[in-house]
Amino acid sequence: MKNFSHLLIKEIKELLNKQLVISLVFILVIFNFIGNVTRTEMKKAMAKQKIAVLDLDRSEISRNIIGALNMANFIIEEKSGEKEKVMEEIRNSSLDLLVVIPQGFGQLASSFQPAEVETYSFLRGVSISGRTKTEVVKALLNSTNEYLSNQYLKNKIPGLDPKLLKAPIKNREFVVVKDKQAEGSRAMIIGALTAQNFILPVILMMIIMYSAQMVITAIAMEKQNKTLETLLTVPVSRGAIVMAKMLAAALVGLVSAAIYLYGFRNAFNFTDMDDISKALGGVAPVLKQLGLTVNTQGYILFGISLFLTILCALALATILGVLAEDYRTAQSLSVPLIFLVMVPYFISLFADINTMSLPAKILVLAIPFSHPFFAMQNIMFGHLNMLWLGIVYNFLFVVVLLWWTTRIFATDRVLTMKLKWRKKKVVL
Amino acid sequence: MAPVLEVEGLKKKYGSLEALKGISFKVEEGEIFGLIGPNGAGKTTTLRIISTLLTPTDGRVTFLGFDLRKNPEKFREKISYLPEEAGAYRNMKGIDYLNFMARFYAANENEAKLFVERAIGISGLGERLRDKAGTYSKGMTRKLLLARALMTRPALAILDEPTSGLDVINSLEVREMIKGFTREGVSVLLSSHNMLEVEFLSDRVALIDRGLILDCGTPQALKEKYQASNLEIVFRRAVQ
Repeated sequence: MKNFSHLLIKEIKELLNKQLVISLVFILVIFNFIGNVTRTEMKKAMAKQKIAVLDLDRSEISRNIIGALNMANFIIEEKSGEKEKVMEEIRNSSLDLLVVIPQGFGQLASSFQPAEVETYSFLRGVSISGRTKTEVVKALLNSTNEYLSNQYLKNKIPGLDPKLLKAPIKNREFVVVKDKQAEGSRAMIIGALTAQNFILPVILMMIIMYSAQMVITAIAMEKQNKTLETLLTVPVSRGAIVMAKMLAAALVGLVSAAIYLYGFRNAFNFTDMDDISKALGGVAPVLKQLGLTVNTQGYILFGISLFLTILCALALATILGVLAEDYRTAQSLSVPLIFLVMVPYFISLFADINTMSLPAKILVLAIPFSHPFFAMQNIMFGHLNMLWLGIVYNFLFVVVLLWWTTRIFATDRVLTMKLKWRKKKVVL
Repeated sequence: MAPVLEVEGLKKKYGSLEALKGISFKVEEGEIFGLIGPNGAGKTTTLRIISTLLTPTDGRVTFLGFDLRKNPEKFREKISYLPEEAGAYRNMKGIDYLNFMARFYAANENEAKLFVERAIGISGLGERLRDKAGTYSKGMTRKLLLARALMTRPALAILDEPTSGLDVINSLEVREMIKGFTREGVSVLLSSHNMLEVEFLSDRVALIDRGLILDCGTPQALKEKYQASNLEIVFRRAVQ
């Protein structure tokens, strides 16, 4: 145990070197920069924005539209004069949206004849704020349309609710999960579950990839620096050497993934967490009613699945590390592992494993890294057989890989195993 | 007196390549035993087997009465191995490297300190031990590693090409270090293709070529037997 902790400390120190610390700080700085730029742009979009309005009609309806625009968080800069001159003026200013209400608009609208409002967007870039302005104006005009058409219907058919006339059929949506049922839409439930769990696949991918890369690099560096042979002759079990490397890689990998995710969350956290909670608040009782929540037992099962997957990744990476001769080959050898992690990552984001064809499903589930990506879904939808199958599969995978890894380290193969396309050369 | 190390009929195959074809020799306590031969003769394979890095295909190796196949951990406790192309952890200071290695062999903190103090003396690197090993020259790294190999006063120090890649001055210093240590009872098994170096250092030598030991004896006895002025000529005549 004394020798193991001694080895573990050395491995952690070797992995947590200056280069790693610099790259992690760099990631944080870059994410912070991206986050600041994006947030500034979002704030601009949310803040009161200036638009120009040319009201050539000056009717009651046109004044109402301008009033509504005012209420919709716009600062109105009212223009007067000829349209062409106003457009020329705006072209040379920082304003980028002009709403023109033509003469006669009010009269046409009040006599329920087609009336037009013109909006001119002055495109100077592709910022979010510019797009939002147009959308808000469009929404306002739609509301005005709705109001005018309701007025028209009320005049023509008194005593009838215009809303009922426009939408005589109402749709009550229900969602059924196994033997449970609740009122709500499928889109709402899927949206809520996605919003709740969108960060999980990213976390999983980061942890697996970082840990695997760490252990491959640790072994490759021992070979490159010619320290492995000496280490293998010290009075400490080969198992302890392997385990110290794997545990150190897992710990440093976890820290790196946590820092990466902190930066990621910081950069792409557009909405306040409170807003998400509020949005989910309405759906939460529905999710509970449908049993789409995770209890303590569920979290424990997910933890077991994740732990076994990390062990799989570390054991596989250790074997690949033995094949590597130096840092450069180690980087190339980690590519297949990254691909194996990317497959379930993308499938969990864009597809449903349960609706895939059987051969495709078997192929995906044969990858030991796949199981935790689908574990949460399996827990929530009660597919516990699938979850347990994944845990047993990964457990067997880990046992075989760890046995194989320890065998490699206990025999000549730790020194003689090489990935070479040309004939092997042996030092006598 | 019983030998420290006994090698009997040692064979090693890498696939179809037979690197060792059944070699036998003994190393006595406090003696320097040299294996000499050209590149590819089987010297490194022999040393790697005794250091527990490789498993023999056939034959027997006993060290202080322990069998290599049954008790490799006993070998690791009492043997120090210096590989030909060894390095130190580049991000570790020289002194930290010695500390790290000493703790595997020491029974307690005090003994570890004693080992490190001894290594500081052997290496002669002085204040440079406070610098990272990555900044050392090849000669400095070799001295650090030799100090690491000898600091525990192993029952057997296995040194593969101890002066490999060193300049004349550094080579002389390293040879003096090795010679000095055997006076304290440490046995040394070394290999080199520099036959003059082996002649200077060794009490007895074995001539090895293509996985076979051609002859074994003191440098003087071998020179007389082959009527040669040095071991290079002895080796050439033995091969013929």
